[in-house]
Amino acid sequence: MAASRGVLWHWIAAVLAALLLHAAASAQFPQPGKNAISASLIAETPEVAPGGSVTLALVMRPAKGWHGYWKNPGDSGIETQITWELPYGLTAGPIQYPVPGRLIVGGLMNYVYEGEYAQLIDVKVPADVAPGTALPLRATVDYLACTDEVCVPETAKVAVDLRAGVPGRATPSDTTFDRFRQALPKPLGSEGRFERAGNRFRLAVPLPAGVELAEPYFFPLTDGALAYAAGQTFSRSGDALIVETDAPSNATSIDTVEGVLKLSDGNGLWLKAVPGSVPAAGTAPATEGKQSSALRPAVLVALLGALLGGLLLNVMPCVFPILSLKALSLAKSGGDERTARREAIAYTAGAVLICLALGAILLGLRAGGSAAGWAFQLQDPRVILVLLLLVTGIALNLAGLFELPALDVGGKLARRSGSQGAFWTGALAAFVATPCTGPFMGAALGAALVLPTAAALAIFAGLGLGLALPFLALGFIPALRRRLPEPGPWMARLRRILSIPMFLTALALAWILGRQAGVNGMALGLAAATVLALALWWVGHRQGQLSSWLPLAPAALAAAAALILLPLAANPPATTSARTALASEPFTEARLAQLQDERRPVFVYFTADWCVTCKVNEKGALERAQVAEAFATRKVAVLVGDWTRGDAAIGRFLEKHGRSGVPLYLYYAPGQPAEILPQVLTPSRLVSMVS
Amino acid sequence: MKEMLAAFAAVAVLAVPATAVPAVGRSAPNFKLADANGKPVMLSDFRGRTVVLEWNNPGCPFVQKHYESGNMQKAQAAAARDGAVWLSINSGAPGKQGHMSGAEAKAFVAKAGARPTAYLLDPRGVVGKAYEAKTTPHMYIINKAGTLVYAGGIDDKPTRNASDINGARNHVLAALAEMKAGKGVSVATSRPYGCAVKYGDS
Repeated sequence: MAASRGVLWHWIAAVLAALLLHAAASAQFPQPGKNAISASLIAETPEVAPGGSVTLALVMRPAKGWHGYWKNPGDSGIETQITWELPYGLTAGPIQYPVPGRLIVGGLMNYVYEGEYAQLIDVKVPADVAPGTALPLRATVDYLACTDEVCVPETAKVAVDLRAGVPGRATPSDTTFDRFRQALPKPLGSEGRFERAGNRFRLAVPLPAGVELAEPYFFPLTDGALAYAAGQTFSRSGDALIVETDAPSNATSIDTVEGVLKLSDGNGLWLKAVPGSVPAAGTAPATEGKQSSALRPAVLVALLGALLGGLLLNVMPCVFPILSLKALSLAKSGGDERTARREAIAYTAGAVLICLALGAILLGLRAGGSAAGWAFQLQDPRVILVLLLLVTGIALNLAGLFELPALDVGGKLARRSGSQGAFWTGALAAFVATPCTGPFMGAALGAALVLPTAAALAIFAGLGLGLALPFLALGFIPALRRRLPEPGPWMARLRRILSIPMFLTALALAWILGRQAGVNGMALGLAAATVLALALWWVGHRQGQLSSWLPLAPAALAAAAALILLPLAANPPATTSARTALASEPFTEARLAQLQDERRPVFVYFTADWCVTCKVNEKGALERAQVAEAFATRKVAVLVGDWTRGDAAIGRFLEKHGRSGVPLYLYYAPGQPAEILPQVLTPSRLVSMVS
Repeated sequence: MKEMLAAFAAVAVLAVPATAVPAVGRSAPNFKLADANGKPVMLSDFRGRTVVLEWNNPGCPFVQKHYESGNMQKAQAAAARDGAVWLSINSGAPGKQGHMSGAEAKAFVAKAGARPTAYLLDPRGVVGKAYEAKTTPHMYIINKAGTLVYAGGIDDKPTRNASDINGARNHVLAALAEMKAGKGVSVATSRPYGCAVKYGDS
């Protein structure tokens, strides 16, 4: 009895289960004859030239709650398989998949598409197909459609009819394929490095430090390299993005790892990595506008460089006199510890603040799209004029023509204007120092420009601090101060001697002014300097009287007049020649054609924020003064295409030139076909190219 | 009814030693699961015999590919001929596709003409997760010394078409043959393919 009861229970349970399973299934499954993911095939152009190719899109539309799979489906699932039936020897290329998404179900990772997605396939047409031939393309597509609960392998028959002929130019209104292409990962162009440390998988991807990331994720195409469901941590070490995650438990040896690095939604980079050493994890990347607080090693190196550079500036002809005089006045203040410290701090504050301010303005200009470089303020002849007058004034002061409270060695006002004077002396030193900064600080400041704002500003501050360091040391170390020689008549002599480098600086500034604003501009500047010198001479004569500064009024007027007249006096070609960055405009094919019609030589380059090679070339070659000069002399127009977000028009243009990514450098001499330049540029190559 | 109760009771006292990951070449983690009859089965019961583990979900089209074509049953018969133990394991959580009671499991085995040594129920997914079973089917082979010697797919044609079975390399049969011949397993890991194991959401 008991046995038969058991059998009965089996029966009931089995029937119930079958019914339940069936009910559950039919509730979820799409209607018979209708796929959960519908597939259709469309072509970019209805006609394709014999010998050419056409891009097809396999457009997949999952029903709500269903998803399709990436090429690497993750822990389970399968990739799309297409069996083609193509006439006349047409051949279909591999499926190009858009950047996928992630879906974790029951602890298993799925790399999926949950909304509509398009897989692109390039089809080549042999040259011997006669124009006008009908080209019926047929394919059977096998793919897996899943919900969180069930998976259904689906099959779809798709078709598209083309015709051999002259391909119509892609109509501007048809942005469908542009949208599809934009969803594809862009080739990064540089190789990554990966290593396995214990049961961890580590990957270094070359990526400029400034690239913004929002929920980055590395989708591996290579199976067995990393554990799919394990969390990934991202950090930055200079121009490398470090990905760390678990290796799979049954790891096999792998010689390359391919995959797609998602930077932010819909923006991914295809890359390949080879075995190699991966730098130690750096700082957490700034994602979604959040700045990292810790400083990474690369920043520290740049900071150190800035500090040393600042220190070096102290012996520059433009700074040394200011510093030494300040030091002497400090020595004179004798044993007063507090005054010395206060002045040292005020001087440092002045120097650091001016450097920070210059840096901030520079970064602001950069963010605003201007191609400004360090010492950008020197690109304006009016700033040079102000500097010229300032330096002339200082030189005349040193020469003993007149006395100035802040720089007064033996003056009565030194005590009263103590910290304030020191602050402005520091500020002056920093401002005057910038012309000397360029050649020494180019590299460090170049690095600063591609770093996040906070880090870049830290480097500018470091420059100021380095500049102020000797004075800071004097202020805080009495022993050092005691080593300064006793004040005496020799100081006046030294002051006269120090006026010589200052006069030389003025000479150099006059020369720069001449380069920028031409002979007229230089004459104007020198005239203003002469008026100033005369006025100061007069001041010196009346020194000590209440109205002793009155004679400066006509000098100020003269300077103001010169400032207004200078832009008029300047001759434009000379003005552009001193710029360190190339004047450029955004790339469009129409603009390129227009410039070519005008028979202008055109230099076109394509770049992206995430492209290290591009940035290196821009810093190391394109933004060099000699290149700018050569381009300006030859009136070379510069067009820049920014492919950071994968602009489709640029993508097509790149493809036309046999490139799948950036950088691409092209030079169009008037009436000549485009010359493709190597991927690594040198200033001399660019200069010889245009001359 | 008594059987089902017993099955649930056995499931409730399941224990898998947490011996880290099931790496090929290392000792396979022991486990204890209730079979379709509610009888507890331990891996260590089979020490000294070759053991094949097969993750199963009768609702999965990829499992159906190998059962409806008779491919899986053929492999089970071959394993049995060599004296190997075959354990089919179902890690589907209650309410998910493929989850079965003991009775349902027995009905499935009978209907499919399958020949596993035992059909084990793992509704909490404890053993599945310990072995990092990801798909159905997902296959493992443990040698007589208790060492994991194979982990991966059943063959090298990751499709749903039964017509692909001919011409595919059946990794499990190949490994069993190599072991029988006293050779090492030449393909010790491969990529498993199929549906995801329907684990609970815990």
